[in-house]
Amino acid sequence: MGRAPSLKTDPAGGVKPPVWDPLVRLSHWLVALAVLVNGLIDKPGAALHVGLGWAVLAIVLVRLGWGFVGPATARFASFPPAPFKALSHLGGLARRQRPREYPSHNPAGAMMVYTLWALLLTVTLTGLVMTGGRSPMTIAADQAAVNSGDWSALVKQAPAEDDEGDSDGGKIVGAIHETAANLLLILAALHVGGVVVESRALGRNLVRPMLGRGKA
Amino acid sequence: MKLPRFAKDAGRRQSAALAAVVLVQAVAALFFMGDAAADIDLDGLGPESAVEALVSLALVLGIVTSGWQLRRTLETVQSQAQALEVARGALAEVIEAQFTRWALTPAERDVALFALKGLDVAEIATLRGAATGTVRAQMTRVYAKAGVSGRAQFAALFVEDLLG
Repeated sequence: MGRAPSLKTDPAGGVKPPVWDPLVRLSHWLVALAVLVNGLIDKPGAALHVGLGWAVLAIVLVRLGWGFVGPATARFASFPPAPFKALSHLGGLARRQRPREYPSHNPAGAMMVYTLWALLLTVTLTGLVMTGGRSPMTIAADQAAVNSGDWSALVKQAPAEDDEGDSDGGKIVGAIHETAANLLLILAALHVGGVVVESRALGRNLVRPMLGRGKA
Repeated sequence: MKLPRFAKDAGRRQSAALAAVVLVQAVAALFFMGDAAADIDLDGLGPESAVEALVSLALVLGIVTSGWQLRRTLETVQSQAQALEVARGALAEVIEAQFTRWALTPAERDVALFALKGLDVAEIATLRGAATGTVRAQMTRVYAKAGVSGRAQFAALFVEDLLG
């Protein structure tokens, strides 16, 4: 990166870069892990898949609540959705300008995190509809029953699926679930790419604050 | 500055533990409430539902309380860090002002500050690229201007200011 050294001496315009609080950090890594396992590894519809979905829903809800009552860096007020600012931030990065420091997410990062939350809620809630709201424990119990030769569990499931109306409706919900999940994985990859680009442009490792470590 | 760092580490550990508790409680609460809802769906409302509602309430209250506690801990850690910074800045100002009152020369100010930070004559000489004899002479002049007999008394002047 051909950065002029004079730019590097500019001390971030007086804004302290964010130090993420433990709830933000822990929820971030737990959700990331669950998304990877549910998106790439485990079997859709299995008790583990549904259980992780439930856990993600709980974690995201806590994080959204934390956005109102948490410390300044975690609060929504610190990173309001601003699409035009996000575009100008990305434009600046493309022109190899050194970005300024923000007290929380930068405008592009803010748009990314709101999109990711929306997708996480979409995926988990459509998942709830697809399973008829059956808990992972029920699913595990039913699966165990089926495995031991008691097929009545399958009959019990059937009315639950009817509750969602016609099978077309069920198919649409399933399609939304799958599309949103794929989009989530793509955006997660884009998010990692964004962290790499921004880290280079800022000249500091942005992964460190998410691991709870101070300046490099 | 060992003490504040210990305090900060304790605060960090405590807040990390609280964050983990909040998340575990939230996951547990959602699972429990989902299971309770399924029970009600299957068997209707019963005496068990009342207990499940009570446990759900306790879990949610636990999450809110831990979250509030976490916020308090984070605020405390931050205000301690700020107070320490203010104290450092204030002490530096007090020292500067006192040095000016004693009319220390720039070289004497440097030597005096190093002495306050606990460096010995040989270390100060190395840092300043001067002979130990020069540093010793400068320190003697500093003690004379401050009206003290030696290093311990000299440092005590500022500690006394801090203790009030």
